[in-house]
Amino acid sequence: MPSVPSFLPSCDPVILRSSALREGTPLDAIDGVQPGHVAEPASPQALAELLAGAARDGASVVLRGGGTKLGWGRQPKPVDLVISTRRLNRVLTHAYGDLTATVEAGTPIRALNQELRRHGQWLPIDAPFDEATVGGVIATNDSGPLRHRHGTPRDLLIGVHLAMTDGRVVKAGGTVVKNVAGYDLGKLVSGSHGSLAAIVDATFKLAPLPGASTTVVAAFHEPGALVRAVSAVSASQLEPTAFDLHVVAALGKILIQFSSTPAAIDAQVEELRRWLVTADSFELVTGPAEADVWRGQTRGMWESPGSIVRASWLPANLPAVLSLLTEMAGEQPIQLAARAGVGAGLIRIEGNSSAHAAAIEGLRARPGVVGHVVVLRAEAAVKQQIDVWGGPSDHEALLGAVKRAFDPAGILNAGRGPV
Amino acid sequence: MDQRLLDELAGICGAEAVLHEPLQLLTYECDALPHLRSLPAAVVLPSSASQVQAVVRVCHRAGIPFVARGHGTGLSGGALPAKDGVVIALSRLNRILDVDIANRRVTVEPGVTNLEITKAVAPHGYYYAPDPSSQQVCSIGGNVAENSGGAHCLKYGFTVHHVLALEVVLPDGEVANIGSPVVDTPGPDLLGLFVGSEGTLGIATKIVVRILRKPESVQTLLAAFDSIDAGGEAVSAIIGAGIIPAAVEMMDSLAIQAAEAAVHPNFPPSDTILIVELDGPAAEVRSLFQIVEETCRRVGATKIEIAPDDQQRARIWRGRKAAFAAMGRVSPNYYVQDGVVPRTKLPEVLGKVRDLSIRSGLRIGNVFHAGDGNLHPLICYDERVPGESDRAVEVAGEILRYCVEAGGSITGEHGVGADKAEYMSQMFTAEDLDAMQRVRLAFDPRNLCNPRKIFPTPRLCGEVPGPYRAHPVETAGLAERF
Repeated sequence: MPSVPSFLPSCDPVILRSSALREGTPLDAIDGVQPGHVAEPASPQALAELLAGAARDGASVVLRGGGTKLGWGRQPKPVDLVISTRRLNRVLTHAYGDLTATVEAGTPIRALNQELRRHGQWLPIDAPFDEATVGGVIATNDSGPLRHRHGTPRDLLIGVHLAMTDGRVVKAGGTVVKNVAGYDLGKLVSGSHGSLAAIVDATFKLAPLPGASTTVVAAFHEPGALVRAVSAVSASQLEPTAFDLHVVAALGKILIQFSSTPAAIDAQVEELRRWLVTADSFELVTGPAEADVWRGQTRGMWESPGSIVRASWLPANLPAVLSLLTEMAGEQPIQLAARAGVGAGLIRIEGNSSAHAAAIEGLRARPGVVGHVVVLRAEAAVKQQIDVWGGPSDHEALLGAVKRAFDPAGILNAGRGPV
Repeated sequence: MDQRLLDELAGICGAEAVLHEPLQLLTYECDALPHLRSLPAAVVLPSSASQVQAVVRVCHRAGIPFVARGHGTGLSGGALPAKDGVVIALSRLNRILDVDIANRRVTVEPGVTNLEITKAVAPHGYYYAPDPSSQQVCSIGGNVAENSGGAHCLKYGFTVHHVLALEVVLPDGEVANIGSPVVDTPGPDLLGLFVGSEGTLGIATKIVVRILRKPESVQTLLAAFDSIDAGGEAVSAIIGAGIIPAAVEMMDSLAIQAAEAAVHPNFPPSDTILIVELDGPAAEVRSLFQIVEETCRRVGATKIEIAPDDQQRARIWRGRKAAFAAMGRVSPNYYVQDGVVPRTKLPEVLGKVRDLSIRSGLRIGNVFHAGDGNLHPLICYDERVPGESDRAVEVAGEILRYCVEAGGSITGEHGVGADKAEYMSQMFTAEDLDAMQRVRLAFDPRNLCNPRKIFPTPRLCGEVPGPYRAHPVETAGLAERF
């Protein structure tokens, strides 16, 4: 057993030992910064005790789930302790008759869905990473194409337990879908990137697994035809589960998934054919090939080099967004994978990394076209030139007050933001 | 209240927009939970966001508590005035500022009613999804404060799922924009926190909501059953088949009788009726509706009616949505509660409620959103009978206890307000509540913004605990309950 430490002197050594405290290694590095120590608490209470010890001793803490999005955020200041939720990985209850499940934060979404599948249900979050955990997707509010139908994790979350920096474990929300008792702290930590408290478990409303599905992939070489088709589908009464766009250079694709009864899928595909009559190709995909199409759409970008930014826009602004990207693509190749109905997506900027910051600033310079340009993946050189979160908002003071209320010692997230 | 402050408020909103005579104030002494009453020192009726901001600044500077009020339809005393405080009534902020069909967004002021949004976009084939039963009169600002639901939230979610951005006057009079018409505002979800915070974190002065395309097809079925259990079994089987209906509602015999007496929906006389509505693409609704119908027959429906057109559908919904108000036809007084249980616990909890009704000697009508386990027990009593009002309060508290014990909640959509603050400790520990209080203090360090709501505190002086009594406006025949 490793001897424990002068590190976190105010923390109970029993907690430190049971949390497998060890020194950080290069494998634990966050954006190039190697943490001093790593702990893997085995219970919510132990996690809370570690936070309290860190707060007393002024140690900076970064929370880690599957570690799939650790590079998101500003470059960290020195990190004293990474707290991993790896051992908080149980599905606590699956109340399938009530379409809800309570699950510990370190559980990978994929493992959760394997469990839920036994009763024909799932948590419809199709974030792009296999090892992404429940806590991680809530903290980043990350989502994929299914957002079109099911929303983002915050829309599915109905209750949480949080470990606070004062060592307490507190509850907000509950285990029933309809519940307005008390403040919804689950919403507050959604998108907080671990900067307010640690999520230790979460309760979600679930969805029945779809009986059947079909995906239509339609290609357009003419951007005008693409945007007219998107607008026609948006105004139609079709109800797809996913309605995506993929654009690289002059090739644009619309990807639409229908999940329903076979008869309803057929009827909707036939109607869609009428809306997409100007497409250069119209392909129906089902089965394993369909899964591949969506895997490519969500993951392709992450498997390719370059900076990745998240951006959003008013859905009807799509023509202006595409023009802006075409303009920028003159300088470096640009890829867009987007939720057409929602008005949000990821933009990948390739080429010379020194031009990335300029491209990101170019996007931010057009707030009438795109809003909320947040850098998700970028090299240190790029992050040094721009703030990954974008400019300050008019609620900074409010966020600051909330941060001080939850993390008065300022130990969480090592300056990575967003608060 | 100090005359100089009244003058200052009049300087902001105009003298006619500041009420301070006791008779004028009476209208504002309660919301739709009239057993909790408290006279404010003044009521101001601002007509713009900047006036709201100026009024809040004055209150903040002078240390005067203030309470925002929409159209006063809340059922938990959320708009109960603070003693010696100011009520900021938002009924004059009632403009629809922007209808943007291409982006499926509507921008409104808080005093616009829920249904006005749908009316504004219906000609374009769109609607606003959350549909509380009071939607004809309740304000969207109030919906934001309470995170209102409605019959269709089983499939479409609550207010929090349909609001994109808020302009908010914070308790110190600063203005913040939270959320944004463009999605994915970085950082903690302050919008999600604010929606449902019951007016304790600030006052929304501008609201951007998302509208939805009307579904291609809607089908509504009404099934009668001999018992609540049989109706409940139908609901379980429908949801077990992987179907998420747009709405699943149940009413028991007392609620059915009341609805018949009030609005004559011509419901079949029975122990229980179940209303199931499916919407979506026509082919999907057709095939799933068949499963719903077969399921109802299989578990023993004694009668099934399928609404052949919009008019008949409206008839069914009229009967359901009038149920609360209709209780006045069968009982001199009634008290509505808003507990939630996991759906699978409905039969067990309703059994307990039935026993409680027998034990207490009070009739209890049940109207509930069966799809999500949200109960609205209507406890009948006669305030002229000594002790009966107190018994109704005890019965309501007992029902909420059953809900919490079954793993549910003390409120599904009406809010905690002043009415249920004392029950919060049944659901949350002192530490949970302390974490929430910290958020409140981050927004409102001086505790001026809708104080004494949500969190358990000793009862207010002069506050009479107890169930429903007619609002003066109702007694005068000027308004109906929803």
